[in-house]
Parts: sequence; structure tokens; C-alpha cells
Amino acid sequence: MRIATSTFLRQGIDAIQSLQSTLSRTQQQISSGRRIVSPSDDPVGAAHVLELTRGLEETGQYQRNGEIARNRLSLEEESLIGVGNILQRARELALQANNASQSDETRGFMAVELREMQEQLVQIANTRDAAGQYLFAGYQSRTEPFVRNASGFQYLGDQGQRLVQIGEGRQVADGDPGSEVFQMIRIGNGVFSTDANAANTGTGVISTGSVIDPTALVPDTYAVNFVTPTDYEVRDSGGGLVASGVYADGDAISFNGMQLEISGQPAMGDSFTVAPAINQDMFTTLENLATALETPTLNDTGRAHLHNDINDGLANLDRAIGQVLEIRTRVGTRLSTIESQRDMNEGIELQLAQTLSAVQDLDYAEALTSLNQQLAVLEAAQQTFVRVQGLSLFDTL
Amino acid sequence: MADILTTSVSGLLAFQRALATTGHNIANANTDGYSRQRVEFTARPPQGFGNGFIGSGTQIRTVQRSFDAFIAGEVLLAGTAHSRLDSFHNLATRMDNMLADPTAGLTPSLQGFFNALQDVADDPSSIPAREALLGQAESLAARFHSLDQGFVELDKEVNARITESVAKINSLADAIAELNKEIVRLQGAVGQPPNDLLDQRDLLIRQLSEDVEVNTLVQDDGSMNVFIGSGQTLVIGGEVNRLETAPNEFEPTRLEVVYAGTSGNTIVTESLNGGTIGGVIDFRREMLEPARNALGRVAVAVADSFNAQHREGMNLDGQMGADFFAVGAPSALPSASNTGTAAISVSVQDISALTTADYELSFDGAAYTLTRAGSSIAIPMSGSGSAADPFVAEGLSIVVGAGAAAGDSFLLRPTRPAASGFAALLNDPDAIAAAAPVRAEAATANLGDATISAGAVIDVNDPGLLSPATIQFIDPSTYSINGAGAFAYTPGADIDINGVRVQIDGSPLAGDTFTIAANAGGVGDNRNALLLGSLQSASILDGGTASFQDGYGRLVAQVGTTTQRAGINLEAQSSVLANAQLSYESVSGVNLDEEAANLLRYQQSYQAMAQMVGVVDSLFQTLLGAFSR
Repeated sequence: MRIATSTFLRQGIDAIQSLQSTLSRTQQQISSGRRIVSPSDDPVGAAHVLELTRGLEETGQYQRNGEIARNRLSLEEESLIGVGNILQRARELALQANNASQSDETRGFMAVELREMQEQLVQIANTRDAAGQYLFAGYQSRTEPFVRNASGFQYLGDQGQRLVQIGEGRQVADGDPGSEVFQMIRIGNGVFSTDANAANTGTGVISTGSVIDPTALVPDTYAVNFVTPTDYEVRDSGGGLVASGVYADGDAISFNGMQLEISGQPAMGDSFTVAPAINQDMFTTLENLATALETPTLNDTGRAHLHNDINDGLANLDRAIGQVLEIRTRVGTRLSTIESQRDMNEGIELQLAQTLSAVQDLDYAEALTSLNQQLAVLEAAQQTFVRVQGLSLFDTL
Repeated sequence: MADILTTSVSGLLAFQRALATTGHNIANANTDGYSRQRVEFTARPPQGFGNGFIGSGTQIRTVQRSFDAFIAGEVLLAGTAHSRLDSFHNLATRMDNMLADPTAGLTPSLQGFFNALQDVADDPSSIPAREALLGQAESLAARFHSLDQGFVELDKEVNARITESVAKINSLADAIAELNKEIVRLQGAVGQPPNDLLDQRDLLIRQLSEDVEVNTLVQDDGSMNVFIGSGQTLVIGGEVNRLETAPNEFEPTRLEVVYAGTSGNTIVTESLNGGTIGGVIDFRREMLEPARNALGRVAVAVADSFNAQHREGMNLDGQMGADFFAVGAPSALPSASNTGTAAISVSVQDISALTTADYELSFDGAAYTLTRAGSSIAIPMSGSGSAADPFVAEGLSIVVGAGAAAGDSFLLRPTRPAASGFAALLNDPDAIAAAAPVRAEAATANLGDATISAGAVIDVNDPGLLSPATIQFIDPSTYSINGAGAFAYTPGADIDINGVRVQIDGSPLAGDTFTIAANAGGVGDNRNALLLGSLQSASILDGGTASFQDGYGRLVAQVGTTTQRAGINLEAQSSVLANAQLSYESVSGVNLDEEAANLLRYQQSYQAMAQMVGVVDSLFQTLLGAFSR
């Protein structure tokens, strides 16, 4: 084939230019450390890189969210431990006060201690976190949740519970509303509560009672009336007779799936109420207990009233302790959820980072090898160019 | 003896010309478009004698240019395809580089925004977290703007390149027409082809084909006619029909190429296939406009879905959330040739059905027809086009005003203006609606153990949304709402009141009440922030198959793929062109070694002829000497 002189020149330069552009790409890859310098290098990979980077960022955010939730829950746990300790101490005091060896005076000291505890409890209920937000106010985290007013303690928060995103599709509550922790605690045995009529003249003391047959349970307010000191009848809120019997000290009285005992000697006309358990906050429980301890016991009737009140208080304290324990368990579960999610997120992060590296990062060994290869080829092309261009017949004429 | 002298002189003259041609070849070894010339000798007619014919020397029949029209045609074709790909690839690479850095695209901005949103969800009453979210919203808007601005700059460059190419095509056409006249004149006068002028014209044709694909036809008189596009004559003999640029009928900033022929102006933009101008036009149609629309669609999706959710929330001041983002509204551009006065308004009705296409809406006097721009297939529309019952198609809702005349048409760009109009509207950190507007609670005095869910907004436009509502149980299986009605209770079933949905679960007792009320003071509530956050991974584009991020990822992948394909095609076309050029140069190119050999050859022949004159001289001297003795 005939070769024009200009062809040599053009081909030589074309070859050198194309080698130089390959070399420049390799250089860009090496200096950026990225295999994909622009999306056209690997369009699918480039879109994948975006997705992976986003996933990494997102998982990092989940980790931060989890950390925030963990801090809040730890603070809540601390508070709940404090609440539990106070309630335990109150329970001990109540048991002590129930002892016949205590006098009005010693009970008065206990009442003072109980009121002190109540104060502490309110302070815990109004705990704020480092950011100044109330821990137990539901959504209204800038509102002091528990305030004392004329009728007792009022909850100004709400029942809202904030969730925090700790993983893809996984949310965890970062607290519990004060209504649930401190306020909405069922009294009595949790299903019904018993109470002695304040006008009772006998010495009957009623137990907390229990549910023996949930299927037979009919929630209503019942009155156990002593028609004689040894005969009782149980009437529902409509006045209908539910049960009746002969009273013996300490014997079980049961009706409509419920069972309770009355001990002591009730007088004729004495009456006891059995009503569905309502909610009562733990401050009121302490308040009532303290009030009961402050009431002087003048005679056996008074002592019976005291026993009844302390029994109520003990039952309510047990309920409160149970409630706090239950919430602590939930907090613990959430903390372990966060923990396991954190491990999972770390696994995801590691995997994403590895995949990202595999898609995006340059294999330096490979890149440097091809750099050397390209340099060698370019040098060869340049030398060839110079030698071929140096050939001319005119030189020999 | 005189005839020997004549023979010698004929050789001397011929070789002198051959040497001149060789010199011409050497001189033009580096001239663009020059075809090597070859002298063709032929023996002069012999003189007849009784004993036969005696030769009378040599003469030059013609000076031939080494040119193969077929191979030259291949170079033209390969060159026009190459320069099309080259200009396409050049612009595509620019766009590719714009999207190249994974830390500078839309993805990190979107992620930063949603991370800031999570921070607000973690601590909804924190003003610093809210300030940070507003800052991220601003930078997201800035990112949309800078990406769109990059596209706008490319669009301006497309216009500039079209203008430049058209000017170049016109000036080349002028030059070709001038050469045509000169060639016709010289060929008529001399009767031989003016090789160097033909070379010049072929070079001009090649330069022209770099800008636009051309077809040529050589006439008997030596002139060449040049056709472009779908057969429009650019040059006919010495006459030129010029190209012009004109604003698009719908959109003055979009340049079209117009052919100013004898029968009026024709828009030829889409029929100019190859060359730089073809590449630029292809780039605008295949990459730039779809990419701008795709970016706009992401902007629409972010703004619309975020606004809708944000309006369902309550801000720190207890107000319902306002729009969080503004976004450029779809545009409906009337054609400059419309005679009617109808105004069209377009709005996005369903993001998941929204495409990245542009549409043309035309009126034939009786009915409207919707087509995708550049296609003639009608898209079915539901509705009547009135404000109450708009046309609905492909996620768009179109309201047509009165006063359209037959033949009127409109260009609809649903997503194009979105990214440039994207803006963060909130300035006040309190205005971020992180909370839900209502909360549902169980009354403290409830005796049953039933619980109520926190409440979710299902109809933010319900006028009673923030009004308190009470659900009270008449008995364990029946409840009333606000003291009225008796509804059967199913645990866990949806109860919808005043645009709020709640579920009650568990065993309620008679008298138990649940309240739904405005979430006054609920500064620690993050329910709406969590719902806003969930939009990040929600599949709301492409019929519910892609998230915002996916939408942007698809744009990047699309640009990358197109650029990559253009690069591969360009490389392939480069070698096709190189091969064609090799064949061309192998025929027409000057080889200096060959010319050196020819130089020697003609020099020796010339010297031999001169020697011949010496022989004739000595013959004369011999003869003269014999007589003078």
C-alpha cells in the first residue's frame, strides 16, 4: 500500500494522543483513588455509589438517633430506680406503722418522712434532661408535668410517647409519659378495691381481696353490709342482693368471681365497699398514707380504720412498685433493642463500606501496573515517531 | 535533423513540466486537501515515411490529480459521523463531569437534609436542630439551582454552537459557490480540470461535512451542487440558499435552524443529522432536556410530597404547617403562531405518574389532542378540560381556557421549571411542623384497660380537625362520639373523626372515655417529623417504584450510560475515519520519497534530452565541417 508522508505524521500523533489520554485517565484515577472518575466510566456503578453513600450516611444517622434514645432511656432508668427506692422505703414505713407497737407520735414521725418522700417523688417526676426538657411530660416536654393544687396532684402533660428512628423501619420509644409512670396506677389489687365505710363503728378490717374467677367477674360497686354483727349481705350498685352469709372472723367472702376477707368484729350497720379499681397517682397514695398515720387512734375502731387505711396504702404501694418495675422492664427491653440495633447497624455500615470500596475504590496495584505499561508504550510510540520522521530519501540525494 | 531537434525539445519541455509538477507536489506535501498530481505523457503523432513511421517525441496529455471520488465520499461520511459524535461526546462529557463527584451531587444534599430532619425528630423542641434543618433546606435548594444552572449554561452553549455552526455553514457555502463559478469558467476556457481548485472545493466540502451532513452532485460543467438535511439545496452552481437560526415557536430561548429556500422558510433542526450541528441538536434532545426534566421531576417530588406531609403537621407555635418548599410550576407555552387567546394552566396531579417528557397540546377547532413532544401518538386524556373537570393524563391536570382557535398549539413543560424555582420557604425555626396536630388520650378515670393510638391525620382539610372529640363507651361493646350515636366497638378497628384516625384496642368498660384534641403545647411531639423522614425512602416516583434518591440516581446512570455509549461510538468512528483517511491519503497523499524518485527520474530524462540536443549540435557541426573544408 502507498503511504503518504503526512499519514506517518498523523498516525504517529494520533497514537501518541490516544495513549496520552489513557494515561491521563489512569493518572486521574490514581490521584483521586477512585475507580469511577465520572459516571460514564461505570454508569451502573456510579448510581450504586450514590445509593451506597446514602445508605452509609443514613445508617450513621440511625446510630446517632440510637445514641440519643439510649441517653434518654438511661436517664429515665436512673429516675425509675430512684422512684422504686422511695416506694420501697415507703412500703417499709407502712409495714412498720401497721405494727401495734407504734404510737400516734412515732406514726407522726413516719408521716413526716412520707411527706418528705412525696416531695422527692414529685421532683423526680419533674426531672429535666440536659436540654431542659421534662422527661415525663409526654409531648409537652416544655411544660412542668406535675403540680400540686387544692385537690391534690395534677398532671399537665399528656399521654404522648415520642418514637426515635434507630434503623430502617425500626422505631423505639425514648421515654414514657408521666401519666403512665406516676399517675394511672390502678388501686387495690388492680381489678377492684376495697374500703371500709368511714362511719363504721366495729373493728372490721377488710383485705385487698383477689379475683378467683375472671370469667364470673362483674365490675360494679358492691356494698358488703352487716345486717347483724354476724350476718352480711352483698348488694350491687342497683341494690340487688348478690350474696349473703354468716360472718366468721377471717373467713373468705366471695361473689361474682371476687374473694375477700374481713377480720375483726364488725358492728351492725357497718358497711364495706368493693368497687372497680380506679387510677390513682402515687403522690396521692403517699399523701393518703401520711394522712392516715397522722390521724390519732383513740380506740379500737380508730385502729381498725388505721389498719384499713394502711392496708389500702400497702396495696397501692405494691401496685405502684409493680408499675415502676414494669416500666423499668420496658425501658430495659428498649435499651437492649437499641443495643442490638446498634450492632446490626454497625454490621450494615461495615458491609456498605466494603461494597462501596469494592465498587468505587481503585485497585492501586492494578492501576500502577497499567500506568507503567502505558508509560512504556507511550515512550515506544514517541521513539518510533522520531525515528520514522527522520527517514527521507532526500537526505541521500 | 530538425525533427530530431523537435523531438528533443518536446522531451525537454515535457520533463520540465513534469519536474514542475513534482516540485508542486513536494511544495504541497503539507497542504490540506491537496491531491498529488501526476503528469501523463503521451507520444507525439509519428511522421510517416515510405519505410515506416518515425516518432516525433513526447507530449503531456494532461496533469491528472490522484483522486478517488468513492474513497473521498467515504471520508466525508466517516468525517460527518465522527464530528457529530465528537460534539455530542464533548457536551455529554461536560454534563457527565457536572454529575461526577458523588460528594457534590444532589444525593449528599438530600441526605444532609433528611439527617437534619432526623435530628429534629430526635429533639423536636430544640431550636438549634430546627435552625440546622432550615440551613440544610437552603443548601438543598442551592444544590438544585446549581445543577439546573449547569444545565442552563449547557443550553446556552448549545444555542451558541448552533449559531456558530450555521454561520460557518453559510460562509462555506458561499466559498463553494464562488469556487463553482471559477471552476466552470476555467474548465470552459482550458478544457482541462483545474485540479487545485477542485482540491480546494473538496476541502471546503469536507469542512462543511464536519458541521453538517451533506450530499453532493457534480454537474457536467464541473460545478457541484450541495444538499443538506432532507434534500434542501444549500448550493446550486453559483447560488446559495442560506441557513438561519430562529427562535422556537413556543420558546424564544430555544434556537431552531431554518432553511431559507425559494419556497419560504422551513424548520430543518431535526433533519440535520450529522456533523457538529447534528451532534449538538442530538445532545439537546437526547440528554440535556431529559436530564433537566428528570432533575425537575425530583424537585417536584421532593417539594410536593414534603409540603403535603408538612401541612398535616403542627409547628412549635401550635399552627398547622405551611408549605415547606416552593417549586417552579409547570409551564404551558403558547405557540407564536397561535391565533386564539386561550390560556392553559397545568398542574401536577399525581407525582407517581409524572414522566420526564414534554408535551404538545393542540386544538383542531373541536377537540384538544395531547402528544409527547416529538411524537405524533395521541395520549388519551380524561375529563373535559374545564376547571371543575380538568383534562387528566400522565399525572398532569390541564385546564384550558376559552378562546382557542383551530390550529393553536401549546408546549407543556411539566417539570422543566421545577428545579430553578425550588426554594425553601420557611425562615422561622418555630414554623417547622414536627408535631402531629392532634393527640388522643384515655381518660385517667377509665376503669377498663382499653388503650387508644396516638392518632393520625387522614384529612388535613377537615374543618373540625382541631376540635375536641370524645369517644365514650355506653357499654363495653358500644360507643358514642361526642355524645351522639351508638357504634359497635371492634378492638383495633379504625375510628375516623374530624379527619383524624385512631384505633382503640383492649377491653373498655361502660363510661370509659377517650378524647381527641388539638396537640396544644406538644413541643416534644415528633410524629410528623418521623412521617416526613419516612418520605426519604418512600417510593413515590415512576408509579411507586422509585424514591427521590432513585430518581436522581437514574438521572446520573442515564447521563453516564449515554456518555459512555457516545464515547465508545466515538472511538469506533475514529478508527473508521482513520481507515477512510488512510485509504484517501494512500491515493491522494504526497509521498516525499516517491517525489524524490520522480525528481531523479525526470532530471535524468531532462539531462538525457539535453544530451540529445548536444548530439544534434555535433551532427550539425560535423555536417558544417564537411562543407566548410
